[in-house]
Amino acid sequence: MTFDFVEPVVFAVLSIGVIAGGVAVVMLNRITAAALLMAFTFLSMAGMFVLLGAETIAAFQVLIYVGAITVLILYGVMFTKFSTSPRALFFQKQTPLAAVFVAAVAVPIVIVATLSFTGAPPRPGGGDLPALATSVFTDFAFPFEIASVLLLAAMVGAIVLTKRDDQEEAAARRRR
Amino acid sequence: MTVPLGAYIAVSAVLFFTGCAGVLVRRNAVVILMCVELMLNAANLALVAFSRKYGSIDERGSVFVIFVFVIAAAEVAVGLAIILSAYRNRPVVDVDEIHQMKG
Repeated sequence: MTFDFVEPVVFAVLSIGVIAGGVAVVMLNRITAAALLMAFTFLSMAGMFVLLGAETIAAFQVLIYVGAITVLILYGVMFTKFSTSPRALFFQKQTPLAAVFVAAVAVPIVIVATLSFTGAPPRPGGGDLPALATSVFTDFAFPFEIASVLLLAAMVGAIVLTKRDDQEEAAARRRR
Repeated sequence: MTVPLGAYIAVSAVLFFTGCAGVLVRRNAVVILMCVELMLNAANLALVAFSRKYGSIDERGSVFVIFVFVIAAAEVAVGLAIILSAYRNRPVVDVDEIHQMKG
């Protein structure tokens, strides 16, 4: 193929986007910026799905992660006050233990994962939607229904958890 | 020369452990939720990549990714609801301060 160099270059750019975004989410003290960079990470990840030939998954990624989840998280950020002191970021009693744990688990796995799988993923013949839809609505029809019940339960649960009863509502109004 | 599977898995592993470090180190509950989302997304990348490499024609790996999407959406909705209702009792989002669930 003539354009063999395009795919590695696109992959490199996207992986830099994914990893830089992820690191920024962990490191940044400004939470609104962190949430937007999380959306950026998700978008780069959608690009990776396209590169892998999973266009439908990429579309869902943009709709659900970049659309819904980022907006929900931003609401969470804006409803809560958060401390901007440096203490909130890194230097606290969990830090050394967390660093040791992550390094001990992460380094071997990254090395093994990188060295083990050297073959190229095969190029898909076409879009992945027909195969995906067939799987979901035949073999995975029952888990699909369970997932919809789970979403309903989560929705009702979120409403119940955040709903104030009338007394609380009146007290909050008096405070204002 | 296409991109090898190992490269996708490496990116997935790096992102996963970035999120893992965030969950362990950060104390803001909303940021912890964001880092959990990063970890779930890294797992999605590994699932899709393996599905491409070893999957049969029926895309079963990608089906699991769809279920992960569902779980992620449910998790973030319930997680934020819990954070907000805890915040209403006591206006803190620092998980070191929220150490009891008693009302």
